[in-house]
Amino acid sequence: MKVVELIDVYKIYSTEYYEVRALDGVSMDVEDGEFVVIMGPSGSGKSTLLNLIGCLDKPSEGEVLINGVETSNLNDNQLTELRRDTIGFIFQTYNLIPTLTALENVELPMIFKGLGREEREGRAKELLRSVGLEKEMNRKPNEMSGGQQQRVAIARALANNPKILLCDEPTGNLDTKSGEQVMEIIRHQNEELGVTVILVTHDPSLAKYGDRVIRLRDGKIESVEHVS
Amino acid sequence: MFLELAKRNLQRAKVRSLLAVIGILIGVMAVSAIGIFGESLKAAVVQNFEDVANELIVSPNFQEGYKYLEEKDINRIKKLPNVAEAIAIKSDSLLIETKKKKSYAVVYAMDEKDVEEMFEAEKGSIRLKSSCVVGKRLAEFAEIRVNSKITIGGREFRVAAILEDTGARFDINPNSAIILSPEDFEKVSDVGYTMLIVKAESLEKVDDVKNEIEEKINIRDEKVVVFDLKIILERIDEAFSQINVFLMAIASVSLLVAGVSILNIMLMSTIERTKEIGIMRAIGAYRSTILKIFLMEALILGLIGSGIGSVLSVVGGYLIDLAILQDASYVFQLSTLLYIALGFCIGVFVSVVSGLYPAWKASRLEPIEALRYE
Ligand SMILES: Nc1ncnc2c1ncn2[C@@H]1O[C@H](COP(=O)(O)OP(=O)(O)OP(=O)(O)O)[C@@H](O)[C@H]1O
Ligand SMILES: [Mg+2]
Repeated sequence: MKVVELIDVYKIYSTEYYEVRALDGVSMDVEDGEFVVIMGPSGSGKSTLLNLIGCLDKPSEGEVLINGVETSNLNDNQLTELRRDTIGFIFQTYNLIPTLTALENVELPMIFKGLGREEREGRAKELLRSVGLEKEMNRKPNEMSGGQQQRVAIARALANNPKILLCDEPTGNLDTKSGEQVMEIIRHQNEELGVTVILVTHDPSLAKYGDRVIRLRDGKIESVEHVS
Repeated sequence: MFLELAKRNLQRAKVRSLLAVIGILIGVMAVSAIGIFGESLKAAVVQNFEDVANELIVSPNFQEGYKYLEEKDINRIKKLPNVAEAIAIKSDSLLIETKKKKSYAVVYAMDEKDVEEMFEAEKGSIRLKSSCVVGKRLAEFAEIRVNSKITIGGREFRVAAILEDTGARFDINPNSAIILSPEDFEKVSDVGYTMLIVKAESLEKVDDVKNEIEEKINIRDEKVVVFDLKIILERIDEAFSQINVFLMAIASVSLLVAGVSILNIMLMSTIERTKEIGIMRAIGAYRSTILKIFLMEALILGLIGSGIGSVLSVVGGYLIDLAILQDASYVFQLSTLLYIALGFCIGVFVSVVSGLYPAWKASRLEPIEALRYE
């Protein structure tokens, strides 16, 4: 089953003086449970692609389908629900809420979903334990290392049991050891729990985690390799 | 949890939140304290009139040629329902002679007990048996002292008392007058009753009594004119209410300023937190949720500011009353609570309204734009 499907997608940024084709006619599918790595030079449109898949942005042309649903037909609240329930985001810069503790950050998507206090606290603690942060639960983001913050972000992304995990250079700001830790958690989610993962990276060494590597250049798909 | 989030965001910018709270606080205080003061002022003035407010004054209708009230009409009025008391008064302008001066003055005829009830003696005691009481101003003018002898309309009377200054009155004013008993008055003047002071049993009955008198006495002819002092009370009330509204409108300007400062602070906050808004939108916050979070912050600022402002406005009202009216007891009346509640509500309202635009703006941010913001 295709969880993600892009049909001839364009994303064009135009101003008075220039026009940037961040995505220039991209079509691709992602199967349920797949681990897709997207690579490409800087400015090739990787983040743009991921944001479209994550319903954070809308294509200039073409269609993005999530679970077979055309997202262009959805209103803002429906897109929000899709992000909340079906998609988990992991960003290069962690993007935690600085005023909230690790535990509260992980609880946030469940609060938005309307889960009761006990349920979400229990789940948030369990998630933090699974990323090895039970001791740091009550720390604020600025009291944690980058690797720890990224693991909190992963726990948050997993809070509502998403079907799709979107990772935009999740190890980009981390040292090798923290990076590996983070990748192991993501791999575990994919292999043991069947979460579909789409991961954007510069780092060629991460290609080995994927079932498939898609290379972008100038907004176009340059090549697709299957990793056996 | 949203409450907690809002609280922490406010704590994050402590000085800014504090300034917003102070702004609202001053605004609420200004509105409430001035409201309280205005109400106190009214209460102070009204109190001066309250003991005469249930009075009606019945006079003969000069325009129709009636010079005096008829005794049978007076008796009829006395028996009307809801009439607590009726004091019939004669008055005439008579020649007064003392050792040193000679002049005309108003002389009233009143029963001793009515005089005692209505006025206080400053010197001597009120006695009207072959003696008279003299108003303060007349006594000063004509150098009249207690126990001195004066000649009124050719007859000599002993002065039993000098009355206290009565201030402004609407019924009779003995300040520049002399009061005699009806018996003595008849010996020096032959005028009839010129005025009847009717006291209704209560303020609410004044209109009834007025209608009754007009119905029963003015059957064929407009024999009497009835004037009720309640009207004065109503006018005063009305005038002061207008003054109060005006004063509070001026005070509201400070609330407006406070509102603008909240608007400013919240706008800064939305801009600073653009990225955070993007994050929340990305992980599943509806536009309406963002709106709620920001409105909550404005509400908290408003509640704290208005709360403290309300408490302080009692102090403020107390101080203004003390300074201007020299009497702060008026602060402790029901209307004070009303003005505090009003100030509080306006404060909270202004805060939320001021937060509305920034909150709306925050909620309209596109998730991707917001996330990209640094
Ligand atoms: N909001 C925007 N306005 C104008 N141009 C944009 C905007 N966002 C992206 N672009 C342009 O679109 C192209 C693709 O950007 P994108 O962020 O997707 O690249 P990327 O592959 O993620 O690069 P990196 O590896 O550096 O993150 C770039 O040329 C970029 O300048
Ligand atoms: Mg990128």
